[in-house]
Amino acid sequence: MTALQDAGELRPGPGTTPRRTPPRAVPPPAPATEPEPTRPVVAAPDDLDEQTLVVRAQEGDVRAFETLARRHQVALYRLAVRVLGNRADAEDALQDALLDAWRRIGSFRGEASFSTWLYRIVTNRCLGLLRRTRPAMPVADLSEAGDVLGATRAASPERQAELDAGMTALATALAGLPHDQRVCFVLRELEGLGYAEIAEITGAGETTVRGRIHRARKTLAEVMRPWR
Amino acid sequence: MALTPDTGLPGTAGDVEAHAPVEPLACGRDAAEVWDHAEAGTLDEHERSCPHCGAAAADARGLEAMVGRLAQEPLIPPASVVDRVVGAVLAELRPRDLIPLDSPHGPAALDATAAAAVLRGVVDAMAGMRARSCRITRPSASGGTPGPAEVAMTVTARFGVDLASATARVRQMVVAAGEQALGVPVARVDIEVVDVFVDGAFVDEPGVAR
Repeated sequence: MTALQDAGELRPGPGTTPRRTPPRAVPPPAPATEPEPTRPVVAAPDDLDEQTLVVRAQEGDVRAFETLARRHQVALYRLAVRVLGNRADAEDALQDALLDAWRRIGSFRGEASFSTWLYRIVTNRCLGLLRRTRPAMPVADLSEAGDVLGATRAASPERQAELDAGMTALATALAGLPHDQRVCFVLRELEGLGYAEIAEITGAGETTVRGRIHRARKTLAEVMRPWR
Repeated sequence: MALTPDTGLPGTAGDVEAHAPVEPLACGRDAAEVWDHAEAGTLDEHERSCPHCGAAAADARGLEAMVGRLAQEPLIPPASVVDRVVGAVLAELRPRDLIPLDSPHGPAALDATAAAAVLRGVVDAMAGMRARSCRITRPSASGGTPGPAEVAMTVTARFGVDLASATARVRQMVVAAGEQALGVPVARVDIEVVDVFVDGAFVDEPGVAR
């Protein structure tokens, strides 16, 4: 640690050495006596790296947390819509999960990535919601299933109708999967995560995750055969 | 799940199937693995010629095509979600640590989080430097009055910045800002450079919106 009295003298103690080796393609460092640019660029929260934002949020910086929330909200919302089957519940789940994340951010220790940590909070929130509303869950409600679908119109009307029907069938079949299977399938096939990360998010073992995903794939492939 | 006793009976509950291993295909290959290979386009010699593997791979490709379409559907949450979250966060903020200010007109204190934000902003405005952690304490002096403040910061620096002179500048700026912007004399500034960055090198998580 350096006291004010020896200002200007950096004593690189343990941990002060930059950890990350810069990539080779980087231009050579400027001379040490480089003049300050005439207009220094202030680093706005949007320019900051994730770890800096996480540390700031942990120290109570709401703007840093807001930036993190905005960066991750799309992926988290996608997960929630696909797990819950409709946008309204997904918005609620996302909102509650982000509030939960703020309240618990002090407990984030960086063992997993921040996105894994957030995915886990959203997943738990969704599963909790599903457990509570299970009896009323309209498993094959086509209008709800269709809610998950946006509109990409490119094919002929006939082909488009066929594709829409196929997509609705897929969304319905997805909604009909056991919750644990659906969560694992969505994380794998729609979010593109690996087995290890899904295991981290769901708290299940990797073998279990693999089994759930495979069973989900088989069920869905069966349903989707007529649309191939 | 742990509460459900294993009765050994075939059940419909997820508990029984959840831990079942993936059943191998008739040819003995691991069905999940064949599926992964089909999706990744890395089927081996056997998997390409075996009818059992072929059927599994066809299922995988058929489903993948539809799932791919589903994955492309844009799903963007309304901006109001994060707005509501931030509103709720701000509404429930309570002052945590307070830094006493020297005031001749009665007690005055400054929220440490706000003070830290001011000092971080000073560092962020410097070329090639960004503040990460910032902790400010003001230990009592001998007479019970608040002594000068002590600041501990971690910073990241742009690759190529002369760290010795940059940290010296950080120290000067923090001392000046403490006294001028916060009204708190600063006796000590500990600075730790914890990372270096390259402009534009921060890669976002997949699927994030900026």
